[in-house]
Amino acid sequence: MLDRRAPATSTLQSVPLVRIDALNKWFGALHVLKNIDLTLRPGARVVVCGPSGSGKSTLIRCINGLERFQKGTIEVEGSSLGRSDRDAAMARRLTGMVFQSFNLFPHLTVLANCTLALRRVLLKSAHEAEEIAMRHLTAVHIPEKARAYPAELSGGQQQRAAIARALCLDPRIMLFDEPTSALDPEMIKEVLDVMIALAKTGVTMVCVTHEMGFAREVADEIVFMDQGRIVEHTSSTDFFDRAAHPRARLFLDTILSH
Amino acid sequence: MSMLDIWLGILQGLRITAAVTAYGLVFAVPFALVFGVAQFLTTGLTRFLVTAVIEFWRSSAVVVLLFVFYYVLPVMGVTLSAMTVSALVLGLNSGGYASQAVRAGLQSLPAGQREAGMALGLSRPAILLLIELPQALVAMSPTFVNNLIQLVKATSLVSLVTLTDMTFRAKEISQTEYDPVAIYSALLLAFFVVCYPIALAGRWLEARVNPERGAPHGI
Repeated sequence: MLDRRAPATSTLQSVPLVRIDALNKWFGALHVLKNIDLTLRPGARVVVCGPSGSGKSTLIRCINGLERFQKGTIEVEGSSLGRSDRDAAMARRLTGMVFQSFNLFPHLTVLANCTLALRRVLLKSAHEAEEIAMRHLTAVHIPEKARAYPAELSGGQQQRAAIARALCLDPRIMLFDEPTSALDPEMIKEVLDVMIALAKTGVTMVCVTHEMGFAREVADEIVFMDQGRIVEHTSSTDFFDRAAHPRARLFLDTILSH
Repeated sequence: MSMLDIWLGILQGLRITAAVTAYGLVFAVPFALVFGVAQFLTTGLTRFLVTAVIEFWRSSAVVVLLFVFYYVLPVMGVTLSAMTVSALVLGLNSGGYASQAVRAGLQSLPAGQREAGMALGLSRPAILLLIELPQALVAMSPTFVNNLIQLVKATSLVSLVTLTDMTFRAKEISQTEYDPVAIYSALLLAFFVVCYPIALAGRWLEARVNPERGAPHGI
């Protein structure tokens, strides 16, 4: 239902989509990412979880160059994402990002939010851009809101609009930074449902979330972070059934018990 | 001289008042946009220099600037007409204030707006033009209307460099008719009649560009 490009060809299957090597990042004196190694294969559905302040958001923000880093390498589709703006622009072409606070442009209609980058970055005609945008708005079940402004939408609808906006550029990787954390409980489901449908299309997804039900249903890999390190990176079933690291077990006990 | 004659006599200066305001805007608007944005985007030495230029125009007394540009520059070989000096000085002074509104408007936007633009692959100039400035200018529109009203009122100073504006006309009339109460009351009214419609237009504009926030009502 969500319109996607064809899955990566077989020759690409072996090439990692994202390869992160010995990544280190500091905010001033604060060492927020410590020797992160992470490889994402095409089609992977990865949930990144862990206590607050563990560096989850910072990690995925490094993947599309929203955050610079000081040491290590990140390669997206084989080309190195160094420290220049040019590299960041390349990474952003391949990634779509969904933010915790939606970050829709309030002065533009939902449709204009979706068509902005299609017109200005991909230089599509107005007609073509609107066609693409409407297809994605339909896929997230809010085609009737195309002409509305973000302020006229509920939180759940705004986040779905933001997902549609990111999908319009046909990204190879979708990054989600706590997409449901700012939502009322009854709106969380409508956003998660859209994300589950998206996962079924085979797009590579990296999702920072505390929604363990979603993680269990959708993720095939879990990355657990604590204090700037990846302390556990396993298959989803292994993580939920027999998390090895004591910190991960404690986290699961706390989060699943309420 | 009747009150009406005085009033009509003062209004003969309206053309100059309007001209100084209009030419002043030619200086004020580009200055506010360019320097406000520059102060927002730059860092280090560049930002210091940008700030220095803004502060020169914003923190100098307008009367003194008028005298300096009208009486001192000719000594240095630069002669500008009274109209040019007035438009330049009043415009850049007003633009200095407005530049701070532009900068503050840009700074008050959540960082997420820029990040969303970056994540969509938009260039920095595109983010500024398509995402940040439209929001900042709308948010700051009440301040710009304030600045415009202040600019109109500041034109009363150009009589000091020989321009025959409304204030100059009032002083001329007061030299032939000794009736300060009527003359200066009429001048007060004349400025109010010019400025109040601007305030109303600003309110209308504010309501139009920002319907959900609601402009002030009443008179």
